[in-house]
Amino acid sequence: MTETSEPIDVTRAVEVIGASMVFNDGTPARVAALNDVDLVVETGDFVSLIGPSGCGKSTLLRLIANLLDPTAGDVRVNGKPAAQARLDQDYGMAFQKSGLFEWRTAAKNIELPLELKGWDKRLRAERVGEMLDLVKLPDRGSNMPWELSGGQQQRIAIARALASHPPLLLMDEPFGALDEMTREHMQSELLQICAATHTTVVFVTHSIPEAVYLSDRVVVMSAGPGRITDTIDVELGGTRNEDTREKDAFYGKITEVREALRGSEMTGEARGIEDR
Amino acid sequence: MTASGVVKRVGSPLLFGVAFLGVWELIVMAFDIAPFTLPAPSAIWSAFIERFDQVLEETLVTGKNALIGFLLGIVFGVLMSLLTVRFVGVESLLTPLAVAVNAIPIVVIVPILNNMLFGTTSQVPRRLMVMLIVFFVVFINVSKGLRQVSATHLELMRSYAATPWEILLKVRAPNAVGYLFTAMRIAAPLAVITAFVAEYFGGVQSGLATGVRNSLNGSKDVTWAYVIGASVLGLTFYLVSSGLERLHGGKQNSG
Repeated sequence: MTETSEPIDVTRAVEVIGASMVFNDGTPARVAALNDVDLVVETGDFVSLIGPSGCGKSTLLRLIANLLDPTAGDVRVNGKPAAQARLDQDYGMAFQKSGLFEWRTAAKNIELPLELKGWDKRLRAERVGEMLDLVKLPDRGSNMPWELSGGQQQRIAIARALASHPPLLLMDEPFGALDEMTREHMQSELLQICAATHTTVVFVTHSIPEAVYLSDRVVVMSAGPGRITDTIDVELGGTRNEDTREKDAFYGKITEVREALRGSEMTGEARGIEDR
Repeated sequence: MTASGVVKRVGSPLLFGVAFLGVWELIVMAFDIAPFTLPAPSAIWSAFIERFDQVLEETLVTGKNALIGFLLGIVFGVLMSLLTVRFVGVESLLTPLAVAVNAIPIVVIVPILNNMLFGTTSQVPRRLMVMLIVFFVVFINVSKGLRQVSATHLELMRSYAATPWEILLKVRAPNAVGYLFTAMRIAAPLAVITAFVAEYFGGVQSGLATGVRNSLNGSKDVTWAYVIGASVLGLTFYLVSSGLERLHGGKQNSG
């Protein structure tokens, strides 16, 4: 690779090249979770991964986070190997279970990644205050996790994920356990937060409207073995807000994603490897 | 709690206890049972009052042995479980040994310690015995608490590039605190029982069990007076440790 191509690599938040992930290889329980997957996420993009259970969307997210090592292929984050990006804390993570530490207050939860990064105590307190404001829970810092509603817990988890200014946010069905009203509200909040912080997002979901509403691109995946079958660009024009959900273009994209999902299922059946 | 709730919770057991003692007293009177076989509660009570200073003294001896062994057992139990969780190799070395030591009956260990290591003038073998029993309970429970951490928490810590020590201190140890309190509640009465049984198998002429043993040839009301001391001691240990556990649990889950 020549020197001149370096800057192009750096602009890419995520680059997955020919990644495969096989669990329990060589045993009867062998599972091909991902097969030869390529994915590029440009800096500033919001990309959703959607597909049926077992399509490997969570596995792909964990490869990007370097929580798993691919059995084949290469994963680069911010132009670095994924392992280095993890050590540099180039990304923040949020899960379906908020994963708040129940023995720490909300503020102490947000503070944890800063503590581990060795931030100065005064800077930490300042940053925690900023983050509580960002997720609109300025008075909840001293509450314990069980004193917060499901939606509030998820806000704290997002605040924690973004506390150390990571350029990339990885989210694994973060709103999956919330009721529909809270969920839609949180989606709009997330878009505002990402716009304010210029964060790139890779977002795993199994909700089509959620993927369409949030994303610049929806990556459609299919199971058995897990692979990417389609990528749909979502242009809805202008800033997205609650009105976006009423637009024809929004419904059009939902239909497009649904058909892409159904199409990938059909080919699955045709190949006799449908996995449900 | 309502007034009738209090009456139900405290009143019923109290009434039952009084009735139990009354029936006991009546049986002893009605069948004219000799104090040598079974003394009446009233006789036990007067023996207890009469010898209160001595019963108190022996209770404090046993209580001190139990408390020292209890605290040592907690310290070693916590240290060992931290070590085994942090260094995987240590676990395969230590756990079988801990299980094996726990399987040796107290009856066997105390005379060995008395005769071989400390002679018969020391309280140390008794305290060591209590320590061994408490250690095992704490070691098993705290190890479990250190291991049973949520997968999400571990993934988060990995995403923060946390070191194994940081994971131990910031995730595993806080997770195990509740398990430690549970272990203390289980081990506290065990500590008293072990201290008592250890005294029974020789050593210095002091402690509740020694009092019980020395009074067995005479009138049994004195024996029972020491039993009162033993129950009060056991109850105290249990109430304090379960109170601590509840205090912690209340702080943790009051919502």
